[in-house]
Amino acid sequence: MKTRMSDIPRKWLYLGILILALLLPWLPLGGSSNYLLRILTTATLYMVLALGLNIVPGFNGLLDLGYVGFYGIGAYTAGLLTLHYNVSFWLIVPLAALNGAIWGILLGAPTLRLTGDYFAIVTFGFSELVVLVIRNELWLTRGPMGLPGIAPPSVFGHPLTQDWEYFYLIVFLLLVVLFVVTRLEDSRIGRAWYSIREDEIAAQCSGVNLIQYKVTAFAISAAIGGAGGAFYANWFKFIHPDMFKFWESILILCLVVFGGLGSIVGTMLGALALIPLTELLRIVLPQNLFSARYLIYGVVLVLMMRWRPDGILPFVRYQENKARRAQKRLAPAGSGE
Amino acid sequence: MEDLLGMSSLFLQQLVNGLTLGGVYALIAVGYTMVYGVIELINFAHGEIYMLGAFLAYTMVTIFGIPFFAAIPLTIMICACFGILLDFIAYRPLRRAPRLAALITAIGMSIFLQNLALLIWGGQIRSYPRAVLPKAFFQNAFVVGDITMTWLQIFILAVTVVFMFILHLIIHRTQVGTAMRAISQDKVTSALMGISVNRVISFTFAIGSAMGAMAGILVGLYYNAIFPYMGYNAGIKAFAAAVLGGIGSVPGAMLGGGVLGIAEVFGAGYLASEYRDGISYAVMILVILFKPSGLIGKPILEKV
Repeated sequence: MKTRMSDIPRKWLYLGILILALLLPWLPLGGSSNYLLRILTTATLYMVLALGLNIVPGFNGLLDLGYVGFYGIGAYTAGLLTLHYNVSFWLIVPLAALNGAIWGILLGAPTLRLTGDYFAIVTFGFSELVVLVIRNELWLTRGPMGLPGIAPPSVFGHPLTQDWEYFYLIVFLLLVVLFVVTRLEDSRIGRAWYSIREDEIAAQCSGVNLIQYKVTAFAISAAIGGAGGAFYANWFKFIHPDMFKFWESILILCLVVFGGLGSIVGTMLGALALIPLTELLRIVLPQNLFSARYLIYGVVLVLMMRWRPDGILPFVRYQENKARRAQKRLAPAGSGE
Repeated sequence: MEDLLGMSSLFLQQLVNGLTLGGVYALIAVGYTMVYGVIELINFAHGEIYMLGAFLAYTMVTIFGIPFFAAIPLTIMICACFGILLDFIAYRPLRRAPRLAALITAIGMSIFLQNLALLIWGGQIRSYPRAVLPKAFFQNAFVVGDITMTWLQIFILAVTVVFMFILHLIIHRTQVGTAMRAISQDKVTSALMGISVNRVISFTFAIGSAMGAMAGILVGLYYNAIFPYMGYNAGIKAFAAAVLGGIGSVPGAMLGGGVLGIAEVFGAGYLASEYRDGISYAVMILVILFKPSGLIGKPILEKV
């Protein structure tokens, strides 16, 4: 029962991709390899973030414009805990995720009762307030001076210094998040989320507790954002309020939309495609116009919604759906559908 | 006693400043609220039309040498056309799509226009050259005690009142206004009654954008600052005003704008100036949480 014929090659495919990814740092690329590795680490970090965001607009059909707020909360939680208490990185990530989730619940529980547009605008206001607080509460966050000198994480007493070590670390984080997200998608919770996305009223009539499931989704999404922020703080070793501005949310939303809302594989491909593009634009565009790169993200959002609402590679979505359907068919009758 | 007088004159001065600001917020808020009324979409790009209004007028007076008071109607007309275009390109194809798609498109258009302006006009802060503006703008219209009011502030308030009055006439005394109100009640039935829904929606965008463009020019004058990201903050504040008054309600938007402008000026003056922008966000969040229908809006009904 457990061996699904259709799944076996996919598993090997994913394992192959993972091995390839882990081999990447060792490719002989000469002087630029560290630079490329940092881009790759960034792209993987954004995969984590995009997977987290995807839960809300992708699985639940709600526009979350404040995702970067949780990312910032996670980063500052991690930065402050490392600086003041020298807490271990392995404790910090869950704590940052927890802090993200707490704020997610505090914000989500009252707002998720509202219609989607109000939710979008409240999340936006929330992330703006987060940046304002970070910027102005100097006693806590040092405001615009930023938090420099965050200690590197250590693994078994060995502090990480090399670029490849951070790459492996973020790949590990990605795998954890990926595990959580795929398991969630296939669970009772995931099905409830999809039903909410497709038709809220029908879902409610079928006994789905809308608020409970939406708040769960929002909290998990916020937790992943917080964890991503914790990695970012410990990797970059310097955080600043400007890093967590609204535009970051747009970028992450753009990754999700580009890959296909609700598609896990697509979301990751979106990050893999668009983050290196950002780096390319950093080279091409003059310094003072670098922020004009968001023009492209705006166009991507509009064009994707108009012509490719399923993502740039819709077949990825079909494959995923096929796998899910195959699984359903094989499930024994009456097993909790 | 003198201290008390000093306090109260500061109070009145803040009230005057707050009302000026609030009038402008109300002008922008009307655009949000009208569009929301007819197609139930937060038009995030509305703030960018406001920004474009400021920039277009700036370009006209500096590069083309058009007199300031001629540039205003020209800008308004161009921005009205632009609003129609925005609806036509971005929103109309998605009328039947899920709401999420339309919202994402709106935010995408907003980001796109902002950065297009950044590419065209650059990032530096510009201001209308004083030479092209009437000198009286910067002279005090009257001084009562410590309270001063410049002609510019009076101009802003006057324009706001006149525009609101025209809007009121359009909505309540013309056929297209009746059609707008009908569509905001029930789109399908309006279509069955022979209203050309898309044409009325275009008209709504045109009116909203015209008001937004006017607000952009006024704010550019008031703060002496025109920059590509100006629509971002103002847009959200105006949206907050629309929500505060009750989204979909035009008088609500006016009331919300006034209240928010005063709240912001007082909050910045008496509480914490560094949280100036935060005040409107906080007001907006609190209103949405505790009274989502706003001060004078209708309760939101979920349609099955």
